[in-house]
Amino acid sequence: MVKKAIFLVMAALLVLTTACSSSGGSGETSGDGSVTLRIAWWGSDSRHEYTQKVIDLYKEKNPNVKIDVEYASFDDYWKKLAPQAAANQLPDIVQMDISYISQYAQNGQLEDLSPYLGNQIKVDDVSENVISTGIINSKQYGVPAGVNVLGFQYDPALLKKAGVDAIPENMTWESYEELGKQTAAKGLFLDGGVAPDIFFHYFLRTKGLSLYNAEGTGLGYDDDKLFVEFFGLMRRMIEQGAAPSPDVANQTKGIIEESDLVKEKGIGVWQWSNQFVALQQVANRPLAFAPMPGPDMEKGLYMQPSMYWAVTSNSKVKEEAAKFIDFWVNDVEANKLIKGERGVPISGKIKEAIAPELSDATKQVFDFVASMEPKASPMSPPPPVGSPEVIASLADVVEELNFGKVTPEQAAATFRKNAEAVLANNK
Amino acid sequence: MRQYSSLRRNLTGYAFISPFIIGFLGFTLIPMFVSLYMSFTSYNLFTSPRWIGLDNYTKMFFDDPKYWNSVKVTFLYVFIGVPLRLIFALFVAMILNTGSRMVGTYRTLYYLPSIIGGSVAVSIMWRNLFSNEGVINSALTAIGIGPISWFGDPNASLVMLISLSVWQFGSSMLIFLAGLKNISPEMYEAAGVDGANPIRKFFGITLPLLSPIILFNLIMQTIGAFMTFVPAYIISKGEGGPMDGTMLYSLYLFRQAFMFNNMGYASAMAWIMLIMIGILTVAVFLTSKFWVFYESEGGK
Repeated sequence: MVKKAIFLVMAALLVLTTACSSSGGSGETSGDGSVTLRIAWWGSDSRHEYTQKVIDLYKEKNPNVKIDVEYASFDDYWKKLAPQAAANQLPDIVQMDISYISQYAQNGQLEDLSPYLGNQIKVDDVSENVISTGIINSKQYGVPAGVNVLGFQYDPALLKKAGVDAIPENMTWESYEELGKQTAAKGLFLDGGVAPDIFFHYFLRTKGLSLYNAEGTGLGYDDDKLFVEFFGLMRRMIEQGAAPSPDVANQTKGIIEESDLVKEKGIGVWQWSNQFVALQQVANRPLAFAPMPGPDMEKGLYMQPSMYWAVTSNSKVKEEAAKFIDFWVNDVEANKLIKGERGVPISGKIKEAIAPELSDATKQVFDFVASMEPKASPMSPPPPVGSPEVIASLADVVEELNFGKVTPEQAAATFRKNAEAVLANNK
Repeated sequence: MRQYSSLRRNLTGYAFISPFIIGFLGFTLIPMFVSLYMSFTSYNLFTSPRWIGLDNYTKMFFDDPKYWNSVKVTFLYVFIGVPLRLIFALFVAMILNTGSRMVGTYRTLYYLPSIIGGSVAVSIMWRNLFSNEGVINSALTAIGIGPISWFGDPNASLVMLISLSVWQFGSSMLIFLAGLKNISPEMYEAAGVDGANPIRKFFGITLPLLSPIILFNLIMQTIGAFMTFVPAYIISKGEGGPMDGTMLYSLYLFRQAFMFNNMGYASAMAWIMLIMIGILTVAVFLTSKFWVFYESEGGK
């Protein structure tokens, strides 16, 4: 009797514990030839909607494929993905961000897609500069879902109001500072402040350097004068009233509706090209693009994948997963639904095919990206493992600097110490 | 035979409470000890944990100014927020105890923020209230103090966070209210006959008789406040800014664990937090014999 009861309890325990682990097996091919793919991405509601439509279209064309979807906001996405990776239960296809792809690739979570390129995934119409952005340690771990490029997005009418006819051609950092003085005199911000990691990295690239060294074991520049030069300029912009002080910027951070440009208090923002459409929509008046400041803009500029599609190594249906990525890259109907929301399509043919379908703002983005693409240089390797911590540390010191709590020299030294400590783990 | 049947009876009992026992073992006790182990390792979720001894703890204490900043911010939050919240809760409880009209409705209304308390929705509402053109800034402008940059000024943002915690006073208020109801009116009548004014009644009768309840509230609220996470996370968009002004301990721990994947370091932080809360609770208990008054002991 006792034995029976113990047996029952143990059985119940077993059921309870195994119930947690047995679910979620990824990508099975079942007897009747049907395939189930799991796919995950992050984004906003509108992205979820059209992505679901693209998936429905794919299922229509491939009746043997079933697709399970998982989506979340950017922050939640990575919190969900990390435990799945630890348990080898990643979805077959994952949307990858540039700041995380190294980590997932180097830990063996992603599949090298090189054997699939040209077979399942056709890349004939994709420029070499673009497809190569998915290469880490000479393996193709991701296929860009679209590309972005940095630029200045501004309101030409407001610029005229500030007494400036146009953004100077071949703008340099000096003329940019001059311009700031002019707009500040009229009580207008020239820009809304910049994302430190992205623009400092751009600045370093124009000098032939990079934020991280090639191995990802340390910073990619030795001379802290470069830090002082760049962030000194950014701080002067704030002091002159050409950029908002950090307490003002913090108050409106991440809310487009409250941004200075939308409220006609600021002339423009430096940001990625895909962010233009939302900005234009909220501002609801004509906006324009201008290129990045130089000198050596060509060296600094690069086509950045807005995000990648990657196939995970624990997937059991990698070929089917690759076919879906091909559909994303090369199918005209699918791209008419996507409308370049994940960045400008990487295939030249697709760009032409969907051009008539685009809104005016999206067309501007496509045109700007097209005009910058021939000037761009190859991208630096994706940020190494630990980069989220390095970027957070950079944001911290730059904030202290902009609040005037430390000098640029102190900030440069603090950042170097913190960043090197994190990156040393990659040795 | 008797022993056998009692064992059998107990087994049935264990079988019935097994969902709790399994849950407790699986989701509390075992993870706790796993996290103790993790705290001596370097673990990023992807590769297996690597034993590094006390490195996490030495880094925390000697080489991480951001850690000490988060301790400072949390202590400010707890030691300013909790007393304010308790004083406010007692104040409201006393008003509601007077038995004016519609008192039931008011009790419900005042308790509402606690039910939804700590939730994401409230934090978003708070963010909107204090935003540039929010109600608070409009009111401040109207009386000529001018808008305050609540999310931009490191000091102001902590004040805003504390104000949110004070506003969620409902649960301690209800407990105070129950305590107040327990004080017999005759005491006040007797004191009144002896000529005591309301202030004297409050300090001479209400506070001493309420002291066990104050102790209970103080400890529960302090522990709760140490673990506050959601408001800081939502209001600062997960960054603890500006200038780490709202970087509460649990938020910093969360960032280490889930944004930087430093699971080992975060585990070490969690254990230190446990120890800190433990020490503080013991300290409050030790002082309690000087100020808590139990009627049953016949006045000590």
